[in-house]
Amino acid sequence: MTEIPKESKTDSRITKRLCEIVGEKNATDMKHIRYAYSYDLSFVKPKLPDYVVMPTSVEQVQGIMKFANQEKISVTPFTAGSNIGGLCIPENGGILLDMKRMDKIIRIDEESHYTIIEPGVSHAKLASALAKYNLRWSWPVGPPSGSVSSNALCHGIGGLSGRYGLNSEEITSMEVVLPTGELVRVGSCAIQEDAWHSCMPLPRVDGLFTGWLGTTGVITKIGVRIHPMPPILKVFTTSTQTLGHMASYLRTLGNYEICDDLTSVSWWLSQVPIPYPYKPKPDDAPEWVSFATTFSWTQKEQEAREEIWKMVVDEEIKKGSSLEETDYPEEALKARTQLPSQIVGSTKNYTKQAGAGISWPGTFTPLNRWEPIYDEWKKILIARNLSPSVRVTNYRGVHYGMLRAMIPFPKKDPEPIENARQAIVECLKVDLDHGGIPYKPPVDFGLEINKRAHPGYVELLKKVKHMLDPNDIMNTGKLAL
Amino acid sequence: MKWNIPSLEELEDVIWKCTACGNCKTAYDFGPPPFYGEICPAGVEYGFDGNMASKGKIAFARGILDGELEWTQDFVDAIYKCTVCGGCQNQCELDHKPFIPEIIEAMRRKAVADGVGPMPTQKVIAQSMRSFDNPYQGPRRVRTDWTRPFKKAKNPIKNIMKKDAPILYYVGCTGAFNLPVRNLPVATASIFQKLGLDFGILGENEICCGSTAMRLGDAEEFKRVAETNLKIFKDLHDNHGVETIITSCAGCYRAIKKDYSLLDEYEDLLDGIQIIHTTDFLFNYFKEGKMKFTKELPWKVTYHDPCHTGRHLISFDIDEDGSKQWKGSYLGKSEDNCLYDIPREMLKAIPGIDFREMERIGSNSYCCGGGGGVMTGYGDWAAKNAGLRIQEGLDTGAEQMISICPFCHYNLNEGSKRIQSNMKLYDLVELIDMAL
Ligand SMILES: Cc1cc2nc3c(=O)[nH]c(=O)nc-3n(C[C@H](O)[C@H](O)[C@H](O)COP(=O)(O)OP(=O)(O)OC[C@H]3O[C@@H](n4cnc5c(N)ncnc54)[C@H](O)[C@@H]3O)c2cc1C
Ligand code: SF4
Ligand code: SF4
Repeated sequence: MTEIPKESKTDSRITKRLCEIVGEKNATDMKHIRYAYSYDLSFVKPKLPDYVVMPTSVEQVQGIMKFANQEKISVTPFTAGSNIGGLCIPENGGILLDMKRMDKIIRIDEESHYTIIEPGVSHAKLASALAKYNLRWSWPVGPPSGSVSSNALCHGIGGLSGRYGLNSEEITSMEVVLPTGELVRVGSCAIQEDAWHSCMPLPRVDGLFTGWLGTTGVITKIGVRIHPMPPILKVFTTSTQTLGHMASYLRTLGNYEICDDLTSVSWWLSQVPIPYPYKPKPDDAPEWVSFATTFSWTQKEQEAREEIWKMVVDEEIKKGSSLEETDYPEEALKARTQLPSQIVGSTKNYTKQAGAGISWPGTFTPLNRWEPIYDEWKKILIARNLSPSVRVTNYRGVHYGMLRAMIPFPKKDPEPIENARQAIVECLKVDLDHGGIPYKPPVDFGLEINKRAHPGYVELLKKVKHMLDPNDIMNTGKLAL
Repeated sequence: MKWNIPSLEELEDVIWKCTACGNCKTAYDFGPPPFYGEICPAGVEYGFDGNMASKGKIAFARGILDGELEWTQDFVDAIYKCTVCGGCQNQCELDHKPFIPEIIEAMRRKAVADGVGPMPTQKVIAQSMRSFDNPYQGPRRVRTDWTRPFKKAKNPIKNIMKKDAPILYYVGCTGAFNLPVRNLPVATASIFQKLGLDFGILGENEICCGSTAMRLGDAEEFKRVAETNLKIFKDLHDNHGVETIITSCAGCYRAIKKDYSLLDEYEDLLDGIQIIHTTDFLFNYFKEGKMKFTKELPWKVTYHDPCHTGRHLISFDIDEDGSKQWKGSYLGKSEDNCLYDIPREMLKAIPGIDFREMERIGSNSYCCGGGGGVMTGYGDWAAKNAGLRIQEGLDTGAEQMISICPFCHYNLNEGSKRIQSNMKLYDLVELIDMAL
């Protein structure tokens, strides 16, 4: 791993001021503490922050931002750092703003189905609180200790995205500290202090903070929609020999919008863990397996869903598909349908064999481009002795197609990391050239995106960023602009 | 004697298994219903990711190994700000899981070997161990003070060196020297007498099990007392008829069962001797109907699972030769040795007991905050953390908190005082003694 700069830019005057803002116990420039924030699980090169600060109130966040802006010190917001894209690795050093101590669930509105939470609230914490009301959120297949708000901010996806779309679409209101320290609100809470139910019908200024990877402001409260939890879970599992057949099945079933999650994974990703290095798939195993998660209120509703599913299967088989009803590997299925999941959360299913590293080319790619891209990815990955452990999912019916390869690698030595990085960037270029868009992009991806972007788009990004963050202090460098 | 206590360098490969996923930072279980709880006392108090859970500790270990982190006073302090409770370990599913406490202690061993550890307040323990063979600076003769009431009542406790017995009651330093928990050996011996057992103690010849030294990274001191103890145990077996060693201290139990087993000659030295915790031992009598609770205790109680009789006794299945998955793969765990159900079963069997369960129990029990040298090194934090646990107990409506570890008992008592609660602390044996 290593390659951390030996020189530190810490300045005791700055540490002292930060301590005055958040208290002695919540700010530090001690190297061992900074070191623990210098890397994550991805291939992104480690970088040390110069200070770590844990605010406990909105006023403290404002104090930090005003001071940082005045001193032109970079600030990288952090909740759990599990984003798999090096998004919390401070490219430019500066202050690592660890928000975990702001972790209150402020309200669960059981009638209007939304919750107001602080950024430090984890999926685990919210899951246990919501369960008391028989409510749920679209839990990602990630660590239960990860933050709900950071997931929503970064266009995260979860177990209900098949039905409701991205988690950012579930945001109902936000309170944000701007890079210059002012406090703003967006959504209904901007009009009436206590109203957190909807971003619409106002102008969508929440878009100034979603998908910006913590570069435009620090979210201090967020309202998100929550959903009732029907009691009957039925998961339909199938397999096909080709991604083309699988994509067709997912499209046809997706049309009916009856699934909370409609996902398929290649044989390599259905293994717990993903084989590292690459090993060939047994000849008799299907290349693609899928699960379709449905929740129903009554037995009759479940039967109706099953009827639709059977109809779809028949339709696909008539088309000559290799589709079959199949058992999905048990532990892998548990990991993906019992959310939040400790199995996935602890990365057991991804990197237990490889050790320490995971990165992905994670993209939104229309369903009709999946197969040609997968064919190319497979060649790239196998050539580098990496498993083509690929996932495809439909979100919001058939609207967004997600295509992603989860690539584990060991991190003790630099070579395997670089091998994975090169493979992933190569895969990403293929996807971009087919019209896909990477999500939660590390800087390496950002460079590739911006290279292809319309110049007007890049200029607009720069203008918005400059308007909100005139001194470019927030998560500096992360947008690769 | 040949010990297999790994150095930090020897653990490097497993240290590089951690993904920094942070799953270990909170306790979580899918359920349903889902369970969530804070699990890391160090994280709760100090908060930075480095301080928190195995994610943080492994970051420190990596920093040392890749030469990025050099010892500073603050860094040494940070590696001792951990109760080595294993709460984080319970959340991890990767191949280094079985080694997580080992990694933390290997860093401490390195600090001690490099002359920078343990913390100054903890050094007193090491000195006391060397001078008095116990961590409490207690003169040897004080070890038997707790036996006086038995002498007075004309029921003296056997000195096993003088009179043979099949059972050695290994009292442990905390019960013997620590006044607030001294009723623990008294109650234990009283029960044994009520059951008519033939047992003895080592008295002034008992020396520390070495647990505290090991937890602090003082491997040399640990080895010294462990080797002496093992030789004594063998002698007792060979020459004084001892077949069973009972300990009522979770720390001693863990040390003799687990830490001592790092010695090549362990099996030989303990051949023919059963090591058992009082709770487990008494459970056999209870099960067979030989120990009947006749008196009523109309108490509202909750039970605190000590780390050392719980998580620390989990056994891990590792693919040693690579025949099942790959060499070194963590295959699964067994909680068969963990004393989770036994104490609860006995407690609930006492007439009149109204048992209340806390949220964080069993392998997700929240550490009292006293282990890993924290009570000596950071008494204030230990008591503060114990206060949090006491509050969890109070939230159940319980008025007494029961445990089976004198260390937890002492620290939780401090916590109760600190938050000015009326929660009273008892060891299970105290209740059993009252109910017999
Ligand atoms: C094995 C595994 C599987 C995963 N699966 C999924 C999945 O299925 N779906 C999914 O969406 N994600 C997934 N993730 C990614 C991640 O775990 C989740 O998205 C998680 O909720 C992110 O939360 P975090 O606390 O780790 O965020 P962090 O990594 O700490 O932060 C993410 C981003 O948000 C910014 N940020 C943090 N706090 C603030 C704030 N208060 N204001 C402004 N910006 C802020 C950060 O700067 C960073 O850019 C997975 C991760 C792992 C390790
Ligand atoms: S110790 Fe285990 S659970 Fe914790 S960060 Fe490392 S891999 Fe994840
Ligand atoms: S052993 Fe306990 S105190 Fe230490 S890091 Fe793990 S959970 Fe925290």
